[in-house]
Amino acid sequence: MNPSSLKSRFATRFLRALTQIHARKPICPSSPTEIFRRYRRIKAAADKSMAYSVRSRRTWTGAVLWKLRSRSCGRRSVKTSTLVKSQQAIEKKTRHEKQNKNTTTTTGGHGVGFGVEATASELRELVPGGEAMDYCNLLDETAHYIKCLTTQVKVMKKIADFYSL
Amino acid sequence: MELNAGAGGNGSHKTASERDEVAALESLQFTDEIRRLMSAPGGDNASSFTALLELPAPQAVQLIQSPDSAKLIAAPAPAPAPNVDDFRGSFQFPFNCGLIDRAARFSVFAGDGNINGNNKSNSPEPTSYNSSASLQKPVKNEPAETESSQPLVSDPTVENRSIKRKDREKVKGSSKKSKTSAKESSEDAEKLPYVHVRARRGQATDSHSLAERARREKINARMKLLQDLVPGCSKISGTALVLDEIINHVQSLQRQVEFLSMRLAAVNPRIDFNLDSVFTAESGSLMDSNFSGMVIPMMWPEVQLNGNRQQYPQQLHLDAFQQPVSGREEVCNSYLTPENSLLSYDSSGNSASLHSNQLKMEL
Repeated sequence: MNPSSLKSRFATRFLRALTQIHARKPICPSSPTEIFRRYRRIKAAADKSMAYSVRSRRTWTGAVLWKLRSRSCGRRSVKTSTLVKSQQAIEKKTRHEKQNKNTTTTTGGHGVGFGVEATASELRELVPGGEAMDYCNLLDETAHYIKCLTTQVKVMKKIADFYSL
Repeated sequence: MELNAGAGGNGSHKTASERDEVAALESLQFTDEIRRLMSAPGGDNASSFTALLELPAPQAVQLIQSPDSAKLIAAPAPAPAPNVDDFRGSFQFPFNCGLIDRAARFSVFAGDGNINGNNKSNSPEPTSYNSSASLQKPVKNEPAETESSQPLVSDPTVENRSIKRKDREKVKGSSKKSKTSAKESSEDAEKLPYVHVRARRGQATDSHSLAERARREKINARMKLLQDLVPGCSKISGTALVLDEIINHVQSLQRQVEFLSMRLAAVNPRIDFNLDSVFTAESGSLMDSNFSGMVIPMMWPEVQLNGNRQQYPQQLHLDAFQQPVSGREEVCNSYLTPENSLLSYDSSGNSASLHSNQLKMEL
């Protein structure tokens, strides 16, 4: 296994996070709430470790991390100044991208069929950070996102199979 | 036949001598042949054009002068060289997709009035091409799209082409002829710092539509990539369906991640997930407990399969394993079936290190 591939980076990070999660609380045997809580944490850890494992700069990684941070902060209702700053930075970025989107769609709208826009908006909702991108970049991000998702699924499946025997 | 006076465009690419040469030649030799060619089956026209497009100027001239010359192979053309006899006769050039592509893209030759577009282009392609304002000018200096970027083709068949084009355009209508001349702009992408887009026949050539076309091509390229990524998407044709398929795929992947994390949340966490514990000394206690000796011999083949890197640290550990395990083999035998895969051994008490090793191997 290639030690520097996306797969291995994600795997190590995710396993580390998993150990932390499992070490944090001793499992009170299979209470649904406990499992659910852990499920949320594990999912967040998966998304976070995937976002961190990506080498190239991508819009969706920033969006994922921002969502996670804002969600966790919203729950705790604590907003540190750094978090606010990072949120502002991301908001600025999305605003900038929205402006770009406005300018480019005028010229690009001709190229994309009108019926495509509906599905494109659906895709925007799916891909994190997709709202503020133009169609061309959206396709790019989607491709990278799909690639990362498949890696994530593969690794998680192997881990789950491995440990659920 | 009218001679192209070579007026126009930038006029820089073709020397006067070449023009004269071509003019003289065509006047001498080809009028009859070309008329014959006109009556050739229409389906050959495209192929013949395209094959001839590849001819660089000197070779074309050579062709004219020495009918037996076999040097008709244009540099980039993958097609077999057309024989001169074919050239004279029935124009049965081999049909080559690459050539057709280039011809389609190259469709400048209809070139009528749009000389303006050429002024923008930096390519060495002949804008003298565009100079022929009307189709009646038989000799056109057409650029050859060679990768060596030879500028001009003084093709005697230019005349032929023009005449055929005349026929075609009478059939097709006049809208197309105006456009194509403008876009040889994307000729030498290798030479020039900015990306050129080649106009197809009958397409508009102003800068806005160019940019749009570039965008569209980018989008199409990315859609193709996406189609390759999404399984089962390559058969589908049509953008909307492909997009639907992509959306479904993304949704299914996200759902899979959710289910898997649910599974991981529910899994029994007694097992230590830490991979690094394998290689640390203090994990010896972990290895001692709950160790299944039958696993060791099965470990070796896997170790060897996965290369040397993992082998050495495992060797160290496995040696340590041997002593404490010997007493446990009979216990473990009941759980283990050596024929099964390594995953199937004792789940209740397996050592974390072995798990991690195997997990690493699998990953």
